[in-house]
Parts: sequence; C-alpha cells; structure tokens
Amino acid sequence: MSAWRRLHVKVRRAHGLFTSRRVTEQYTWMYGPSTLGQNLSTGKPLRNDFFKELEAQLAAMRKKAADALPGSSWSPFDINPNLPPERADIVIIGGGVMGWSIAYWLKQKERVREGVKVIVVERDLTYSQASTVLSAGGIRQQFSLPENIHLSLASADFMRNINEHLGVLNEDPVDLQFNQSGYLFLASEEVAHIMEENYSTQRQVGAKVTLLSPTQLKEKFPWINTDGVALASYGLENEGWFDPWSLLNAFRRKAMSMGVIQCCGEVTDFKYTVQMPKGLEYQMVECAIVVNAAGAFSGKLAEMLGISSNPKDTIAGTPVPVEPRKRYIYVVHCPDGPGLDTPFLIDYSGMYFRREGLGGNYITGASPKEADEPDTSNLEVDHQFFEDSVWPRLAYRVPAFEKLKVTSAWAGFYDYNTFDQNGIIGDHPVINNMYFATGFSGHGLQQSPAAGRAVAELILDGNFKTLDMRGLGFRRIMAQEPILERNIL
Amino acid sequence: MLKILIPTLLLIPTSWLAKAKWLWPTTLLHSFIMTLFSLAWLKNTSETNWSTLNPYIATDPLSSPLLTLTCWLLPLMILASQDHLAQDPLVRQRIYITLLVTLQLSLIMAFAATELTMFYVMFETTLIPTLILITRWGNQMERLNAGTYFLFYTLATSLPLLITLLALQNKTGTLSLLIIQLLGPIPISPSVNIIWWTTSLLAFLVKMPLYGVHLWLPKAHVEAPIAGSMSLAAVLLKLGGYGMMRMMLILSPLAKELCYPFIILALWGVLMTSSICLRQTDLKSLIAYSSVSHMVLVAAAILIQTPWGLTGALILMIAHGLTSSALFCLPNTNYERTHSRTMILTRGSQMILPLMATWWLITCLANLALPPLPNLMGELIIISALLGWSTWTIIFTGAGALITRTYSLYMYLMTQRGPVPNHMISMNPSTSREHLLLTLHLLPLLLLVFKPTTIWGSAY
Repeated sequence: MSAWRRLHVKVRRAHGLFTSRRVTEQYTWMYGPSTLGQNLSTGKPLRNDFFKELEAQLAAMRKKAADALPGSSWSPFDINPNLPPERADIVIIGGGVMGWSIAYWLKQKERVREGVKVIVVERDLTYSQASTVLSAGGIRQQFSLPENIHLSLASADFMRNINEHLGVLNEDPVDLQFNQSGYLFLASEEVAHIMEENYSTQRQVGAKVTLLSPTQLKEKFPWINTDGVALASYGLENEGWFDPWSLLNAFRRKAMSMGVIQCCGEVTDFKYTVQMPKGLEYQMVECAIVVNAAGAFSGKLAEMLGISSNPKDTIAGTPVPVEPRKRYIYVVHCPDGPGLDTPFLIDYSGMYFRREGLGGNYITGASPKEADEPDTSNLEVDHQFFEDSVWPRLAYRVPAFEKLKVTSAWAGFYDYNTFDQNGIIGDHPVINNMYFATGFSGHGLQQSPAAGRAVAELILDGNFKTLDMRGLGFRRIMAQEPILERNIL
Repeated sequence: MLKILIPTLLLIPTSWLAKAKWLWPTTLLHSFIMTLFSLAWLKNTSETNWSTLNPYIATDPLSSPLLTLTCWLLPLMILASQDHLAQDPLVRQRIYITLLVTLQLSLIMAFAATELTMFYVMFETTLIPTLILITRWGNQMERLNAGTYFLFYTLATSLPLLITLLALQNKTGTLSLLIIQLLGPIPISPSVNIIWWTTSLLAFLVKMPLYGVHLWLPKAHVEAPIAGSMSLAAVLLKLGGYGMMRMMLILSPLAKELCYPFIILALWGVLMTSSICLRQTDLKSLIAYSSVSHMVLVAAAILIQTPWGLTGALILMIAHGLTSSALFCLPNTNYERTHSRTMILTRGSQMILPLMATWWLITCLANLALPPLPNLMGELIIISALLGWSTWTIIFTGAGALITRTYSLYMYLMTQRGPVPNHMISMNPSTSREHLLLTLHLLPLLLLVFKPTTIWGSAY
C-alpha cells in the first residue's frame, strides 16, 4: 500500500445564511484530491468538504427564504414526483445489481452526454426479497464454460479497480471489502477427471487456478479432513467474496450521478411491447427498449408478454425458463474454526462455507436435492435443513465444526434457469426490443459488471465487442440445446 | 382572396360534421383543392406589384410565395398527423384539425394583410393554436416548459411592437403598407429613434429567431407534435422574416448603424448553432438548431437591406420551409415505429427502409445546400450580399456553411448507415402515406430549380 497521505482542502469561512460550523484552515496537497491519496476506510470523512455541504446549504438557504417570504407552494401543474416520466429510451425492469450494472454501462457507453434516457424500475426499494443483497457474495472463475469464466474474470478485474469505474467526484470512495481468499473445490474419485478438464479450460482462458493433491491440501489447510477427496482446485487470485450491498449501491450511485432515473413501481402490463403502465397510479411509459433484469421474477414478467397464449412448440410460445428457487444461508459461530486464510470451500457433496468477518463467524449452506426444493412463496428459513443436510457434511469435512452455534440465518432466491442453470444474455427472438439479463442461477452477482457491459454493447453497438456472449443468448433455448456446467453448485 | 379564405374557414365545420370514416380524407382533399387555387397567386402581372387588391388584403411578389407555402403546408400537416392521432378519441381529432385550420387562417391573413394592425393581430393570433398544439399534444413533460418559453419570448417582444405601431399611426396617420411604402423616412425625434427601431424589429427578430433570443425554438420544435413542428419550422419562422422586410421600409435611415450588433449576432449565430448541431443526441433537436442556423442567415440578409439580400432571404425562406418541414417528417416516421428520437438508437435504417433512405438523402442534401436546389441559390445570394456589405463576413458564412454540410452529412450517416440495432429489425414498412408526404415536400423544391423567379420577390 502507498504511504499514508493526508489530504488537505482549503475551506473558506462560512458566513451569513449558512449554518455555522467548525471551520478548519488547511492547505491543498500539491497534486490535489485524487483517488491515489484517498484511503479506503468507510468511516466518517476526516476533512470537511465545502462543496459536498454546498448543495445542502443552498437548499437550506432556499427553504429559509421561501419560509420568510409570503406566498404558497401551490402550482397549477399537479405533478406527482414519484411517477416515472412519460417516455424514455430504455427501461430496465429490476433494480438489482444486474439492472444497475446495465444502466451504468449504458451511460458509460453513450458517447455524448444525455445520449440515451434510461429508467430503472424497482418495485421494492428496501430490497427485502432481492437476490442481490441476500447473496453469499462469492466470486470465482472455476466454471467449465469459457463464457462464464470470461464474465467472472472481467468482473473481478472491474471490482479490483472499482474506484476507477464507479468513483463519484466528491463522494466517499467505494469499498467492496473484496476478500480475495479464493475458492476451494473438493472433488471425489468419480468426478476428479471432470475437475481436471475444467482446470485446463480455466487455465486456457486465463484464470489463476491450481490443482492440489490431498497431501498438498492437508499441508495448506491443516483443518480439512481429506477423506474421500481425490483432487482439489484452488483459486489463487480474483476469487473470494465481497459485499453485494456495496456493489449495488456503488452502481446505483454512479449511474444516478450520470443521469439514470430511478423509479419505484411495478410493471403490470406491456402494450405493443413498447409501453408499460406501472405503480398503483397508472403511468404509461413509452420506450424504445425494455431490459428484463428482474432476477427471480423474470419468468413471471415475461408471461406478461403474452407468451403463454402461443402454442408451446413455436418460437413465439417458448417461455422464459426462469423461476425463483429458495436457498438458505446460515451464519455459524465457531471459535476454534479455520483461520483467516479460509477459502470459500465447496465440497463435492454440495455443502459450502466461507469465513465471514474476523470474529470466528462463518457462512454456510448446501444445495438441496432436486426433489426437496423448498417452497418459494416466502423467505422463511428451515432450520431443520441445517440439522439434517448441512451440519453433518460440514462436520465431516472440517472436524472443528462439530462444536458450533448457529447465530442467524436467512433465505434468498436464485433466479434459477430451469433449462441449463446458466445466464440468458441477449434479445428475445420475436420481440426485438426486449433484452434479457437474467437466469444466472446463483452466479449473477459475480458476473454482473461484465454482463451489464455485454448487454450495453448489444443495445448500443448492435453486437458484443469485448466478450462474445452469443453462446448465452436466447437461441439455445429455442433450439433446446442446453449448455450445462459440469460440477455446479 | 376570398376564394381561399372562405373555404379555409368552412374547413372548420367540415371537420366537425364529417363522418368518422371520412374525416381525414375529406379534410385532406379539401385542403389540397385550396392549395391548387392558391397557386394562382404566384402569377403577378400587376405593375404596382400588388395584386388581388382590396383595402385590407393584397398579395405582392414578397408575400405570394409565402402564402402559397402556407397553403401547401396544411394538407401536408393533415397527412403527417393521421397516424399518431389514430388512437385519440374522435372529438380530439376534430379539435386538432380545427386548430390547424385556425392557424392556417391567421397565417393567410397575416401574410396577405395590407394594414400593419391586421398583420400584428394575426401575428399574435398564430400563437394561440400553436401553443395549444404544443402543450396538449406534445410527447413529454417538458412541453409545458416549451410552451411557456414559446409564448413569453414572443409576447414580451411583440407588446412593444404594438406600442410602436400605435405611435406610427399617430405620426403618419396611416398604417397601410400601400401608403407607407411611398411615404419616405419618418420624422422621429433623435432621442427615441433607437428605441423606435429596436421595438419595431425585436418581435420579428425573436420570431426568426436571432441567435441570442433563439432559446424558445429548440424547446418548442422538439416538444411539439409533428404538425406543430412542421408549421413552426416552415411558416411561423417566416412570419418574422416577412414582418422584418415590411417594417424596414419605414425605418430605413436609422438602419445603417443600428443593425450592426444584430448582424454580428446573426453571423456568430450561424457558427454557434451549426456547431451545436454536431453535438446533439436528439434528432429533432438537431433539426431545430439547423433551422436556427439557416434563419439567422436570413435575418442578417434582411438587416443589410440590399436588393440581393432581400432576394436571397426570400429564396432561402421558401427553400428552408420546405426542407425543414421534410426534415421534421423524417424522424417522425422513425419515432412512430421505435418510439425513440435518440440518434444512437435509430441507426442503420437504410437496410430496413431503403426507400425512406432515398428521401433522407435528398432532404439532407437539400439541407446542406446542394446545387441546383434553391437552398443553395438563397445561401449563395445572401453570402454574396453580405460579402458586399463587409469582406470579413465571409469567414463566418464560409465556416458556417462548412459546418452545415458536416452536420447534414452526419445526420444522414448516423441515421441511415451503420449496423442495424437489434430492436429495429422488425419495424413496420413505410406506408405510402409517408412516401406521399415526403414527395410533396421535395417535388416543389425540385420544381423551383426550373423557375426561381417565382420566389425572387419584389426586389428583382
């Protein structure tokens, strides 16, 4: 890390209508404020920023003046400020990390200021059911499909330089808390050959992965019980976990600073595939392009297009195969657990865990069998599942976890692609102005920066420029050719 | 004159009494027939220049091309609005046509007026239907802002014009153009002659618009529905030019020094507005600024008060009217299909709508003043006149002309060439209504190549 540099900003004395506050006299560092010298702590800022307070000060001044002067605030135009505008160029349905990533990249690529008018529609601004914030937050390149590896690699690169991309002038820097501790996949005897093939694909694409034998594994991580493990695959760089809420907010803040309009509302209908009413107060939005980034609810949204009224075996009648699947995450506390270099471990039995914070807490969970999929009407947590399916496998793999305490748990939805559990990026073959960025089935968050860029390139440039994602398009669903990941979670 | 005015007036009951199925064809046919009659004005055999003369209404070679353009535009406006009004209830469609006809009536009477009072009243009357068109049928929230700008820019400068006209009536005893043209310079006390000059011309300079008071135009043009944009661009701007040409007869001795700042503003405006066009993201906004850049050239030409200047101004006004109106119709055809005016999202349409690409090409070429179209004739005559006035103007007009060609080509290449975006693949094909609309815009332009004396005006 670079040496500690304190930034000094000259602050003029505040007078008059401004509220009084402590004023400090400081001098400007010779290179001026820059991300080079800013430290990445997310605590309270050390210096008083005149310009950041300026907006608030001016608004307070105006309010004071309006209160003092005679007059009323009646205006002949009764405009509800919460309604979306009557027309926009691109409407993105879904304000999760995928939607905001697409919004950011659209604005980033528009070439001139205000080139495209973008609206992001999100029906729940508290994000209580959104997959983004309920995610475990892992990022890995250990896939078997080259497209997936490319997406995660590009996203990891994006997140390492996040302040270059998403830093807003005069605002706090973004801190994703990106722990690059790596993923550790454990393979049994039967599936070890698949892991070797995946390893060569990953190395070819450029991921920094290494294979470990059981003895090397035991050397590196003494707390693992290597019974039944034939091979392990460990990510050395660009893998780990980060805070999804920070990423979402960073995208949102940057996109809104570039002029994207956010509205809170629900899309209830499509008309001519181009106009959508939303909210309890009906507002039709006339737009040129719609992007479906609604996550777990994308399938339901696509139903509004009237797909089900067409015969099943036609192109127009093929439904969008995304549905919500509930997954549980349990937070456990184990004081004698594995140390700080614990990777995100994924066992061949389907169990996973990772370190959370520095206080001996871990996040764990497992994928249920196809037959025992939990009910998706609510986000209630089934603690029996932990007792039956997760703890035994956890304790078997890491003996220290025999003594642990579950401190909390939550449930979240996967936007599960029932077809082949991989993302759908591209436009609908029949409805030409509807684009999809959904169905990532649990690895959407980690691929969101690169997937957002891919969709933005598709919309503004006409085809993919940096990464070729044609393999992830809608065509494979039409042609019934699934591209399955091998050894997925 | 009455053979045009009465049918126009009676088009209002027609639009209210016609059956729903026949509303648009009837009004269209009716307005086409009126247009045919209006072509008769173009023939002027009078020695005093005034024809169809009566105490209130007359036409002369200055106003007859503008009158014919106005009458020509009504069927085109009706043709263009047919599609986007189809989903409105019937009563609203009738109201729309009534507004267009009212606008038409006031415009005809404005251009044909012999009394300056009637001209002023009709000048103001044109504001009302245009305002209603913009604020009621515009597409976005910003149309309220646009309507306010449009109304108040014009009103604020035309009320002083009213005072000036009243004072003029007092001084000379008459406001009739037929008499004023023979009067000679008006004796005005030197203390108020600057105010006199400014107030009489400012209303028209704002309407033209002159660079500096042009802010209302991009807003109004972009937010107006297609018929509103067409009439604004083609005719309402020319009201300003026409008014200036008439008023300056009375103001001649003062004009030599007082016009300097306005000519400088106009020349600078050519450069500035053309440059802004290169950075626009919204197609309609680009065309609005292109309108400004052409009209400031006209303003400069009228201000220098030479025969060539006035001739060039009139030619450019007519040519620009037809071209600009066609230019507004073209992105409207795109807008009705993709619901977007942004240039990034409406690209490569030559692959999908090839015949429309032809119209785009011809219209963009007309906009960039390709010979032998009258656009070039007008521009060339104006540039030569300005050159005679001062050699240095060639820098501004030359650079402005260069940038005009650049952005016209840019507009053509951006909208027609390049890769086709995915969302435009399955657009509805061009209707014959749209082809007819554009043909009717471009055909007069091509015909005028062969007989430019029609639009030369009375200075020649």
